[in-house]
Amino acid sequence: MRIHKYPRLALFAGLLALPCAAFLPAPAAEAAPPIVIGGTISETGPLAVDADYQIKGVKLAVADANAAGGWLGRKLELKLYDDKSSAGVADRLYERLITDDKVDLLIGPYSSGVTTGIAPLINKYQMATMEPGASDPSIYRAGNRWNIQGTASSLQYLDQLLPAAKDRGAKTVALLGLESAFTLACYHAREAQAKELGMKIVYQTTYSLPQPDFSSIALAVKNAKPDVVIACTYYPDAVGITRSLHQQGFAPKFLGETVGPVEAPFTKAVGPLANRLVTNTGWWSNFKTPDNQGFIERYKAMFHQDPDYHAATGYAAIQVLGAAVKATNSLDQAKIRDWLLSHTAETIQGTFKVNENGLSLGYVQDLLQIQDGVLKLVYPAANAEATLQFPYTGS
Amino acid sequence: MIAAAVLLAVFVAIPLRSRGYLLQLGTDTLSAVTLAYGWNLIGGFAGYFSFGQVSFYGLGAYATALLVLRAHMPWYFAALVSGLVGAAAALLLGRIMLRLRGILFALGMLGLARILEVIFNNWHYAGASVGLSLPAVLTPVAVYVGMGLLALISFCITAYFVYSGFGLDVMSLNEDEDAALSVGVPTTRVKVIAFILSGALPAVAGGLTAWNHSYIDPTSAFDPGVDLLTVVYVMFGGIGTLWGPLIGAVVLMIVGEEFLVYFPNLELALYGIVVIATVLAFPGGLVGLANRFGWLMRPIILAPKGLPAGAPPERAPAHGTQPVLEVRDLTVRFGGLTAVDRVSLSVARGETVCIIGANGAGKTTFFNAITGVVQPTSGEILYFGQPISHLPTFRRAQRGMARSFQIPRLMPSFTVWENVLLASRHGRQSHRVVEHTAWVLHTMGFAGMWRDPVSRLTPGFQRQLEFARVLALSPELVMLDEVMAGMTREEQEQVRGVIRRLPEFGIAGVACVEHVIAAVADLCDRMVVLDFGRKIAEGPSAEVLKDPVVVRAYLGEPI
Amino acid sequence: MLALQILVNGLLLGGLYVLIAQSLNLIFGVMGVVNLAHGAFIVVAGLFTYWFASSTGINPLAALPFVFIVMALVGAGLQPLLVEPLMKMGRSKAELLSLMVTFGLDYVLVELALQVWGSSFVSVPYLQSSWKFAGLDFSQALVVSGVFAALVSALLYWWLNRTDSGKSLLAASQSETGAICCGIDVKRVRMLAFALGVALAAAAGVLVIIVEALAPQTADDLTLLAFVIIALGGLGSYVGVAVAALLLGVAQSVTGYFVGGNAEYVLPYVLLILVMVALPGRFRRA
Repeated sequence: MRIHKYPRLALFAGLLALPCAAFLPAPAAEAAPPIVIGGTISETGPLAVDADYQIKGVKLAVADANAAGGWLGRKLELKLYDDKSSAGVADRLYERLITDDKVDLLIGPYSSGVTTGIAPLINKYQMATMEPGASDPSIYRAGNRWNIQGTASSLQYLDQLLPAAKDRGAKTVALLGLESAFTLACYHAREAQAKELGMKIVYQTTYSLPQPDFSSIALAVKNAKPDVVIACTYYPDAVGITRSLHQQGFAPKFLGETVGPVEAPFTKAVGPLANRLVTNTGWWSNFKTPDNQGFIERYKAMFHQDPDYHAATGYAAIQVLGAAVKATNSLDQAKIRDWLLSHTAETIQGTFKVNENGLSLGYVQDLLQIQDGVLKLVYPAANAEATLQFPYTGS
Repeated sequence: MIAAAVLLAVFVAIPLRSRGYLLQLGTDTLSAVTLAYGWNLIGGFAGYFSFGQVSFYGLGAYATALLVLRAHMPWYFAALVSGLVGAAAALLLGRIMLRLRGILFALGMLGLARILEVIFNNWHYAGASVGLSLPAVLTPVAVYVGMGLLALISFCITAYFVYSGFGLDVMSLNEDEDAALSVGVPTTRVKVIAFILSGALPAVAGGLTAWNHSYIDPTSAFDPGVDLLTVVYVMFGGIGTLWGPLIGAVVLMIVGEEFLVYFPNLELALYGIVVIATVLAFPGGLVGLANRFGWLMRPIILAPKGLPAGAPPERAPAHGTQPVLEVRDLTVRFGGLTAVDRVSLSVARGETVCIIGANGAGKTTFFNAITGVVQPTSGEILYFGQPISHLPTFRRAQRGMARSFQIPRLMPSFTVWENVLLASRHGRQSHRVVEHTAWVLHTMGFAGMWRDPVSRLTPGFQRQLEFARVLALSPELVMLDEVMAGMTREEQEQVRGVIRRLPEFGIAGVACVEHVIAAVADLCDRMVVLDFGRKIAEGPSAEVLKDPVVVRAYLGEPI
Repeated sequence: MLALQILVNGLLLGGLYVLIAQSLNLIFGVMGVVNLAHGAFIVVAGLFTYWFASSTGINPLAALPFVFIVMALVGAGLQPLLVEPLMKMGRSKAELLSLMVTFGLDYVLVELALQVWGSSFVSVPYLQSSWKFAGLDFSQALVVSGVFAALVSALLYWWLNRTDSGKSLLAASQSETGAICCGIDVKRVRMLAFALGVALAAAAGVLVIIVEALAPQTADDLTLLAFVIIALGGLGSYVGVAVAALLLGVAQSVTGYFVGGNAEYVLPYVLLILVMVALPGRFRRA
């Protein structure tokens, strides 16, 4: 379970050990070698904080699986390298995991960006790989079918907000989208959804980061007077848009933002402006999924912190992989891939199910609302901790 | 030789040892080496620091991806064509961007990369912000070999820069661009060529990388981090050297991969410290450090083993009977200020004309207008009866119009040989560069120190070397700008000796600007006196010096 | 009314730009040093302010004097170590080499900030609303930063043109030899300018963290933006930079409203290249 920080050194040591090993007696037959699951993790660099949750989820799942006797009667072992939050470094390290370390199974890295970088390689070497950290749907397409999405795609971000708002009398929508693959997928999906629901899009624009100022966009939104504002954001623009709308003196009835508000510093950054803001998550502590409460307890015991949705996706990815290995009773990559593309599995974050290209269909993105500084699950109603409050007041 | 054998052995051993990680690391290292060499051509040799060469890397990556996907070209062919795309882009952009110098060029290139990123983010044919996926085929060894060849080509191009006269032209830009122009270096063409090469190399590297990774998107294609790391490699290895980029890129790639894992969180900070230490403590990088022990020195360009005897140029037949130089009603205005006001001047064959005047009388501006450094507002300049106002400075120098500067502007890190050679290459003896250069050096008394760096010369010899550079152009008209200023009597006498000998060298006319009148009075056939941009007197020295107008305006009292 | 609001938004944004760019301009103008670590100083000060305000609950602006003094000392300490040794190499060489040194410094500072504060974006929830006046909205945080920027610009102008130490700074920026001949301790003047430049960048950071969310990795974006502004304003000209910053703010505001976010983002770079191409003479310095 140790993180191998010194890949070349280990290789060198291994080479030295090789001739010595030839003279040693063969190991006893009953100790089957462990199944090695390889992957990289952003231990350093800008992605390190969120990646840390994800890998802790993976580690917990492996520990749980080993406690239950492992897979195919063999124990599991993790082989992890630090990709430094860089797709280029991750690319080399996955190549090393596949060709030099010859690991049995792979687990994807954190973030859509890094996953996008390694996806073609995974495909070239035909390794069935669960991708817990990549919500960008563009990764999962016909030519790339060895990458299997282990989290809800960004097509589903805020997909429950428009119907909920429509039920509450909203008719017009303004759409804002950050110029990056996963936020644009959300942007275009919500655009299509609004048309389908017969809601009128009164303003829409995309923007790029870094953008120090959102006042022009906010002013344009204000002039269009939409009932709902949906912003497919990353973190700094979520803060900027929230503030600028307030400064231009406009509060839509519903304000939804994707990535950002669910992170702890967001509420600290915008204070009261976060109240009644809506966002989305793929996992929540009150999900009535099998063993969810057990997962939370064991996670807290092992890492002395509360799990977040990144931890849940990491955990669920190993759960799904285990289901595939057990069902096919093999480590054959093609068999595992075919099983994953055609079957469902129950995990702590819901039912795993993907389409023929590996794009997630089963997992959901439920709505959270910040109410008096606390995130509460408000949609779907069946599972809600609180009711969706409106209008958004901006204070 | 040994180095080449070792490099070749390592290059061959890598794919034999590993088809995976090590091979990928090798490919990435070769790519870094290519980028470093590419950057070094424009940033190191020409002295134009670019923080936007990644633009060409990105364009090459996109060109390859589009050619493979849309035109169904084989990847290696597409990568080659991408090199042409990079070169074409550099040609177009170079004409605009290379007008800027120093920090502004660096900044402009950085801005350019940002603009390209936005264009590709919004260009749907090229996949917009989602990017393009190439058919993922396993060709790691082929890509590795391709990248190796590319690195070799970049090394060869750099070697050409280090060993050839063209390389000397490029390096002269980094030394003193205005002085380079004055000895006939077509600076714009030279730097655009360097820029084209420096754009084509990363474009091919980008193309190969796009194929290797089977994926390209605007963020990674135009990532400023690529440029920054490239700059670090070059600085660390040794900027403007043949081996620096190779050593820097290989050492830092391996150090980054192998040893910095012990300090994973400090990798970038350590790079930062490496750069600071390099600049402050050993500015030449690792190669500069080796130079201190006499290793990896840059060879003296086109230098023969010993200085050959050289031969004087054949006397060119005099063409026509027109005066050497004829200036009619030349006016130069800077905004509201008229620096030169309708001044006419002619220099006949065999004549030496001096222009005198107080400080600020417009003498140097008048010279600058004649040599093309300053655009005249109106007036005509005829050289052997031909109008030359439309010609750029370097063309006038190539035609035989040579000048010296008020303070000698030599190429400070060149040797004596290279300073003279640079001018010989572009003068009227460019068909016999080495003989002519050797002859000039003998004639001017540099035979004993022709391999010395300029920085080791005394100020007197520096002035002398500037004369040598003037002669190297094999000029017909020599224009001397206050050559006596700040000289001791002895040095002045030496210079006067040279001026007297000028006709021997086939020089048809001399024009000099002078402040120290006593030093030139007996040298010149005619004197022209400027005062506040106007010509107030003209005639034989003796008469002019007695003219009461001149005396009042300038001399104060008769000599 | 709408047109006025767009103009107000643009001018306020321009005020923020003045704040970000003016200190970089000071260092460049006096020393010809291109401080690529400029954004890193802004970010470090901003993140410190966030940490200070969120852990003590005290008004973030209270951190300003402390940050200013500490960073002035940091600047005064770094200048003789890193920048002064380059000065004897001549202005054009020093210009390029200082680019490299401060580029290294930038790496170090950003990495240290990542170690201390992590990579999350943070911002301080202070002055988030707007003041309403004559039917127009004036963003409070931007008004405060704009007033501060105006104050700094005015003080700089007064200091450079009216006081002895300021005049010696200006003299040193115009002719080093001349300044030495007049008995000015040029080394001290340069240290002063660098220290002041760093301190002003840090002071800007205290205000920027109120306006927008920052993380260590955003340092280079701020540096680039500041450079574009001082290049547009004519390097080294204090009035030029202020005017360019305000005009850029208005131009971005107009573009953002009528065209969209992407156009607003790319506008500064397009303007920069257009200005460079259209007025090459202005940028062609030997």
